[in-house]
Amino acid sequence: MSQETTSNKYLQVNNLVKWFGDDKAVNDISFGIDEGSFLTLLGPSGCGKTTTLMSIAGLHTINSGSIQVGGLVYTEPSQSIFLAPEKRDIGMVFQSYAIWPHMSVTQNVSYPLEIRKFPKSEIDDRVAEVLALVDLTDMASKMATQLSGGQQQRCSLARAIVSSPRLLLFDEPLSNLDLKLREQMRLELKRIQNEVGITSIYVTHDQAEALVMSDDIIVMSKGNIEQTGAPLEIYSQPVNKYVSNFIGVANLLEARISKLTSPGHAEAVVSYEDMTVQLPCKIGVGVKEGDDTTISIRPENVHIIREKTNDQCIEGKVENAIFLGNHVDCRVSWGNFEWKVIAHPRDRLKAGDKIFLRFDSEHTLAVQ
Amino acid sequence: MTTNTLGNNTKPTRWSNRLNALCTQENIITIVVSIIVGVAVILPLITLVISSFLVLDDLGFDTEWGFGNYIEIVTDPVIPKAFLNTIIICSGCTVLATLLGVSLAWTNARTNCPGRAWLEPFNLIPFFLSPFIGAIAWHNLGEPQTGLLNNLARDVFNIEGAILNVDNIWGVIWVTGIFFAPLVYLFVIGSLRRMDPSLEDSARTTGAGLLKTTMTITLPLVMPGILSGAIIVFVTSAGEFGVPFKLSAPYGWETLTTQIFTKAVGDDANHYLGATMAMALGAITIFLIFIQRRYIAPRSFETVTGKGFRPNVLDLGGWKWVAFAFNIVFIFVAVVLPIISLIIVSLHPVWTGEIVAEKLTFINYTKTLFFWDENSIDAATNGILNSLFLAFVGASIAMVLALVVSYMIHRTKGAGSAILDFLCVVPIGFPGIVLAMGVLVTYIQTPIYATLWILLLGYITRFFPYGQRNIASIMLSISEELDQSSRMAGATWVTTMRRITIPLLKPGIFAGWILLFVIFLRELSISIILYTSGTETLAVGVYYLSNFENEPLTAALSLAQTVLCLICMFAFRRLAGKEALTA
Repeated sequence: MSQETTSNKYLQVNNLVKWFGDDKAVNDISFGIDEGSFLTLLGPSGCGKTTTLMSIAGLHTINSGSIQVGGLVYTEPSQSIFLAPEKRDIGMVFQSYAIWPHMSVTQNVSYPLEIRKFPKSEIDDRVAEVLALVDLTDMASKMATQLSGGQQQRCSLARAIVSSPRLLLFDEPLSNLDLKLREQMRLELKRIQNEVGITSIYVTHDQAEALVMSDDIIVMSKGNIEQTGAPLEIYSQPVNKYVSNFIGVANLLEARISKLTSPGHAEAVVSYEDMTVQLPCKIGVGVKEGDDTTISIRPENVHIIREKTNDQCIEGKVENAIFLGNHVDCRVSWGNFEWKVIAHPRDRLKAGDKIFLRFDSEHTLAVQ
Repeated sequence: MTTNTLGNNTKPTRWSNRLNALCTQENIITIVVSIIVGVAVILPLITLVISSFLVLDDLGFDTEWGFGNYIEIVTDPVIPKAFLNTIIICSGCTVLATLLGVSLAWTNARTNCPGRAWLEPFNLIPFFLSPFIGAIAWHNLGEPQTGLLNNLARDVFNIEGAILNVDNIWGVIWVTGIFFAPLVYLFVIGSLRRMDPSLEDSARTTGAGLLKTTMTITLPLVMPGILSGAIIVFVTSAGEFGVPFKLSAPYGWETLTTQIFTKAVGDDANHYLGATMAMALGAITIFLIFIQRRYIAPRSFETVTGKGFRPNVLDLGGWKWVAFAFNIVFIFVAVVLPIISLIIVSLHPVWTGEIVAEKLTFINYTKTLFFWDENSIDAATNGILNSLFLAFVGASIAMVLALVVSYMIHRTKGAGSAILDFLCVVPIGFPGIVLAMGVLVTYIQTPIYATLWILLLGYITRFFPYGQRNIASIMLSISEELDQSSRMAGATWVTTMRRITIPLLKPGIFAGWILLFVIFLRELSISIILYTSGTETLAVGVYYLSNFENEPLTAALSLAQTVLCLICMFAFRRLAGKEALTA
């Protein structure tokens, strides 16, 4: 069945609006993703990411806009179309895993196939195949309640992919795991998704998870999309202060663009209290000469030097230096401003050292 | 999986889309159930209000509109006194039940009283038994001439006359007080158990003694629970029919419930006047329940820290044996003594107050229990069969309603859920006898009148909220994601209910079912209004024997009912666990 589509993307969300009472949880957002890719909706709690996911799942209705996947319209209130969640052919991994405690691992995983009336032999084959994929073959006959957190997680994933659905949804699935397991599961999830190739949407507030796993990231805040792009793009070229602060760590300072030097490059006058320095920088989308902007510099792009080399260096004092093995986490004071700097252990920095900070124009970004 | 098998939106029109969107399994079932619950709960109450403004003329055939019934309940020679007696009984019962319930809960939860863990189930036994049976048993114990305790006192201490007389308003307070003490107990035990012990410890470090700490810290902290329990006891005792009917009404102390009963049945029955009295009683109880739900219950969370620690208990020193003795005495007086009296009396062909060993017989059991026996008494044997039927069918239907209603309130959370939540409180606010009057005046001209079905309707309407609460408490502890993930796996709403939701709620459903089964087995105040010859229930059978036959037959059937209730209690405790009934 083919339906005329407004876009050639596999999943297309158009002008999605969702109200909860007087709160606009999702404010007219649109995005699309290609078949087989992995999209992450990233943002703090209350940014509308889970609401967006639930809208795609059909676990709540939307107020306006439309959602379609592979040419099938899931919901479009203006046409009074609302496809029940069970008719959307979606696999979903929930935050609490939602493994049914009254069933065994095999019963949990075969459930979607039983519902779809697969023949018994095929159910057995597919369940065995999927359990092998998530490395739960030994646990097949165990009751779901006997599994550890990480195993429940994998059981939940197996159940979501067993019927080869047209879409896979993840609602913060790793947030209940401890750090070590979480880091391991990130890679595992990504490997399995790659292997089965199902288009996936992943919701998280953990930026590291988003960077590791995604093909594309959508950064959201207060119901709006702040930026869409590949992980490297989002990290190295955040479009605004919000994104650069949310993804990774950044030194953020107010600055005014004094003059444009070449396309995409400018001189910015950075001032903090009574200190001023002029820095060459790259400029973000929509930044013009004379604009008040925010300068964003990642800690790993701040270089500590012992001797002043030019006027674009600033003088600071090391407040503390924490040795973390492969790098040193420093705080450098510049007047009352505290720079976050990642230094190399061989610099042998210690608290109280007078040093200079140098910046690369390529990694100094002026954003709105 | 191809798209063909899923979702079919080929050139649909907007209106057919909208219709399709509305006609989901979930919507259809919930709308049907809401209508059933709404009609069942609201219709009798509306009819009750309307009936109270219909005045029967002197000949007793025609009615006209007016306030005559309201004038009559004020000017009647008996009714105002009955009203006063009701207030005295409720107040006395509330004070006694609260004192007993709170002190038992405190000893079991906060002190090192010996054996407190195994004492608790025995403290709660009266909750599962019928206060009417309690009244019958205590009548056998404390009647001035034939009472066992009085005879014992005369034999052993050579006392003239009687040391005890329960056939009066104080007897009613005594029996209802000990039978409703578990209600208060259940309201306070949860917050006492979960209370942070450091609150008490810090009071002790300031130099406050045990008594001072308990009075100034512990009890004030659980005060919302105490007040809730007290209000529930007041409302329950206001609607209690069996105890005043047995102990006080025959001796000149009428209450509102016995007066409603007199007006609802009998030769000079005046349903409209009965409905008016029921209105007056219902207005008081629903007001109190409203206060409890609106102002007192929400505050009770403030005292609870919610942490899962095991609180330290207070060391009572030598006083722990006093607490132990108090607990044992309560069990003896509330459970053991009444059952012993029923056993003794039921084994005598006639009861004169003396135990006559050579005349002991099982004839009373044959006559009341063996429906195939030619000497059996129909009212009693019918009662057993009818009650088993009503309890089984009633509990099953009520739990289905309770399940759907709980789902709507706690899962669907649509516009209707606030209304349904309200509909689940209303029946709790109206005593059984009041609701039964409403059911009677509503359905008296329909074919279901004088059948078991009208009893079934009354039972379910009045008591399904109890089952609903049982399910809701479990439903709230189960993640909604378990349901949602089944929908995402492709299962419809009905399949999800059948394969996921209901299996997960099974313990709650069974526990609620048994609770309703036991409530229906002992139910008196609805049955007494709605029964006719042939549709007697177990409790109506007891009433019949007590009124028209003799005490030994009454005792035999009472004991049979008690044994059934005790069996259900054991089943309930096994299924539901310790905390199931606590507020």
